[in-house]
Amino acid sequence: MSPRRPFSPSRRHILQGLLGGAAVSVGLPSLAAFAPSTARAQESSFPLRFGMFFWGNGVLPDRWVPTETGADWTVTPQLEPLAAFKDQFTLVSGHEIKIPNRIAHFTGPAGLLSGMPGSGDDESASFNGPSLDQVIAQAIGGDTPFRSLEIGAQPDCRGMSFNGSDSRNPPVSDPLALYERLFGATFREPGQGGVVDPRLGLRRSALDAVMADISALQARVGVEDKVRLDQHFTSVRELELRIARLQEDPPDYAACSRPEAPVMPSDTATRPDMEARSKLNAEMLAMAMACDLTRVGSFWYSDPLNNTLYPDATAGHHQLTHDEPGDQPQVHEIVLSAMRSFADLLTALSNVPEGDGTLLDHMALLGTTDVSYGRTHQIDEFPMILAGRAGGKLKVGEHVRSATPENAGRIPLTLMRTMGLAAASYGQDEAFTEDGLSEVEA
Amino acid sequence: MRTLVPAIAVAAALFSGCADEPVGLTLDDLAAASDWPNTPSAPAALRRLTQDQYDHVLHDLFGPDLVVPTLAEPDLAIGGLTAVGASAGSFSPRGAESVEDAAFSMAAQIVANPALRSVLPACDAAEASCLRDTLAQIGRRLYRAPLTGEQLDRVVDVATQAGTVLGADGGLEFGLATLLQSPHFLYRSELGPDGTSGDRELSGVELASRLSFLLWDTAPDEALLDAAEAGELDTREGLFDWAVRMLDDARARRGIRSYFADHLGLESLDGLKKDPLVFERYSTQLADDAREETLSLLEWMVLDADADFRDVMTTRETFLSPYLASLYGVPSPSTEGFAQVQLPAELGRAGLLGQAAFLASNAHAVSSSATLRGKFVRTNLLCQAIPAPPVDVDTSIPEPSGTAPTLRDRVAEHLEEPSCAGCHRLMDPIGLGLENFDGIGVWRERDNGVVIDPSGSLDGTTFDTPLALGKAVREHGNFPSCTVRTLARYATGRIEPDDADAALDLLTSRFTETHGHRARALILELVMSPVFRRVGAPE
Repeated sequence: MSPRRPFSPSRRHILQGLLGGAAVSVGLPSLAAFAPSTARAQESSFPLRFGMFFWGNGVLPDRWVPTETGADWTVTPQLEPLAAFKDQFTLVSGHEIKIPNRIAHFTGPAGLLSGMPGSGDDESASFNGPSLDQVIAQAIGGDTPFRSLEIGAQPDCRGMSFNGSDSRNPPVSDPLALYERLFGATFREPGQGGVVDPRLGLRRSALDAVMADISALQARVGVEDKVRLDQHFTSVRELELRIARLQEDPPDYAACSRPEAPVMPSDTATRPDMEARSKLNAEMLAMAMACDLTRVGSFWYSDPLNNTLYPDATAGHHQLTHDEPGDQPQVHEIVLSAMRSFADLLTALSNVPEGDGTLLDHMALLGTTDVSYGRTHQIDEFPMILAGRAGGKLKVGEHVRSATPENAGRIPLTLMRTMGLAAASYGQDEAFTEDGLSEVEA
Repeated sequence: MRTLVPAIAVAAALFSGCADEPVGLTLDDLAAASDWPNTPSAPAALRRLTQDQYDHVLHDLFGPDLVVPTLAEPDLAIGGLTAVGASAGSFSPRGAESVEDAAFSMAAQIVANPALRSVLPACDAAEASCLRDTLAQIGRRLYRAPLTGEQLDRVVDVATQAGTVLGADGGLEFGLATLLQSPHFLYRSELGPDGTSGDRELSGVELASRLSFLLWDTAPDEALLDAAEAGELDTREGLFDWAVRMLDDARARRGIRSYFADHLGLESLDGLKKDPLVFERYSTQLADDAREETLSLLEWMVLDADADFRDVMTTRETFLSPYLASLYGVPSPSTEGFAQVQLPAELGRAGLLGQAAFLASNAHAVSSSATLRGKFVRTNLLCQAIPAPPVDVDTSIPEPSGTAPTLRDRVAEHLEEPSCAGCHRLMDPIGLGLENFDGIGVWRERDNGVVIDPSGSLDGTTFDTPLALGKAVREHGNFPSCTVRTLARYATGRIEPDDADAALDLLTSRFTETHGHRARALILELVMSPVFRRVGAPE
């Protein structure tokens, strides 16, 4: 046995490959290739939005996958909470993560959301490139105060939104903190003017000085540190742009108004009321999108491997997926809980009227998880739900099944193209694909 | 922020008073400069301040009244250490946002609160020279090095601009808030001099920073920075004198605690979840009290008793609160707070493996875990890698039954099934030796009514009780070298580039053969070695 190694060779290698040994420019280098193909051509005057709903520890595949395909399919036991939205999403089945399954609970999301293997293990596991939400945010998020929002339901969840290697975007999961961040002192409703405060301009000057310091430090460091400082620079610049937006008039969307402050559930840290917390945060995400505070939101209901103790459960979620005997009624109930929370998010989004439709009609939302069957960490038959019509670009209401185990990477590729990115392909090596999933494209 | 329980401060003062006379190691007791092999160093990297370091630096500079916010950029652990993860992490957009929020919150406090403001030079901030001197002086402490003219100009420009609009205090506030967001504050740049190639010695101020974060978990104070700038750390004698002086300083207690909290993964206690329906004696006090027990013992062993470090696996000395005493079933040594106590021999509990911090954090919310406990011993104490489990196997453990009432019976399959056994045989037998401790560390004789059999073997050494298991770990050949490697990784923020590292081997033999496993001597050997003082070229 040998001691653990510092960085897995693959992580290092990928970094070097990414940069080609050349000087690094500011910004996310790996994203430069994805310029929008058109200037956000849309059917309506409402912007296209992208969302994700993620829950940890998978499903029970025998109670997830419907028998029938096409438009006429029967809702399965695990999808029951989504029955009311059956005509607003497409269920995708029969696809698998093509990346070799080496890190349980991590290869699935890394493969689906970054198209590459992850590196590290357990707590230190990292994607090796930006996650799908960030690739899309880079293209469509620039005009809004928040290029992207990461929101959690599980207390202190870590989420899986990555800017690149070892750079995770931590979600806000506390509803009161989320309210303060989105609808606190700096929020303005339509019709209110821009904030007039000399401090805003001075804060931008301070950030300019910080960026100059970062650039100067870059001259002294190696390639890996340049990437880290690039990320830091990008983050600071994004903050500066957000302050600049505060000085402008807010956009005029009829459905936008400051929501009531959330009333916290009377739960405990040991047994959080996941559904109540999730609903509060889902409603705030919907309003943030209604107000055009952001166009890209990832919602992390729970993390891979999470061991949350649910009300009445006899063990934590992850432990139950492995140790609960028989047909796992407790695990089943927890999946239903996640799906009820997914339905709460769809309800909140479809409660926002936009033109002749709703916000959900102007959105593409990927619902997914980390494994298919938690007990065995399988990543074939990968659970994926595509909700929203994306301004008419996506079909809804069907069960689309691949008869042979097709590359799950087709779905992110379709989503990137739906959002207007000129993406020729998605994924590396085994996960590489140039084909989207044409069956879901309208 | 981890606060010291007052009773500990008293206990610590007591022990430093009655401990042996100062150990009195001299430079001659350490390996000579010429003894060290020419082992290549890991490439230099920026190290992001951990949340604790951020907290310590600001409190040490401005005093306890300053409210230091928590940043929204969690520490990252790599190879089990946040000290190593700090060499990889960056700032996300939300992280940068929280840095700005925190910077203005603290800058406003410093300007408005006379107690905090008294740290700044006593001059009129409306005067340009005062503003510049103030920012240069505070900036030097925050950046841990004097500011270059260019660095200072940038901050002064922001402050001057703000002063014109908002008045003198506003100028000061913006100047401070700019310093507090600078990468020169947020990252430690122990890179060696520019313009050199290959491995290089750290500069004096870089070495001061590395030394201070290792021994105190905070930035250098004024005296250490002055000494570094005066070249005092450039000689072996000067560096040794400072290291000894710093180890004797009260701040070393915090430094030692920070080290062991990282080494033992005690941050996992922060999110400890235990089902009170299963564990009737569980209290939300458990996490804090358990952490305090473990860190108090280690602090005492290293800085007060100067004990053979391996005794941490077997010692019956410990520090207990009334709650922990009741959990362990011994009379409470105090009515409030912690006090030192020697556990009775017949209790069957001793050393790190008998402490609630280890037992509860390496267990499930509703049960113990032989696998998690065994994995901790292998990876954290013996530096042995356990391969990740194969991902496509059913890892379930059967429910207790008439034929398989105890955990030993239930995990038997892991130990037979070929795809599991390779790794589980490394972990489970160790954890099964600790089954007398339930998921929060309470002693039990029986599991589901059947008497627990804690016997097993560790790499050839048999044991039949948890005490004997602790002794087997103490005597394990990897225990000293793992202690050395982990400390070196923590100090440098890097994992050694090669498994075979002659410099670490020398450190291990000095620790083992020359110094009788005294951790204090190991720390001094490390600080004086090229492992600590040199870095590779950034790459």
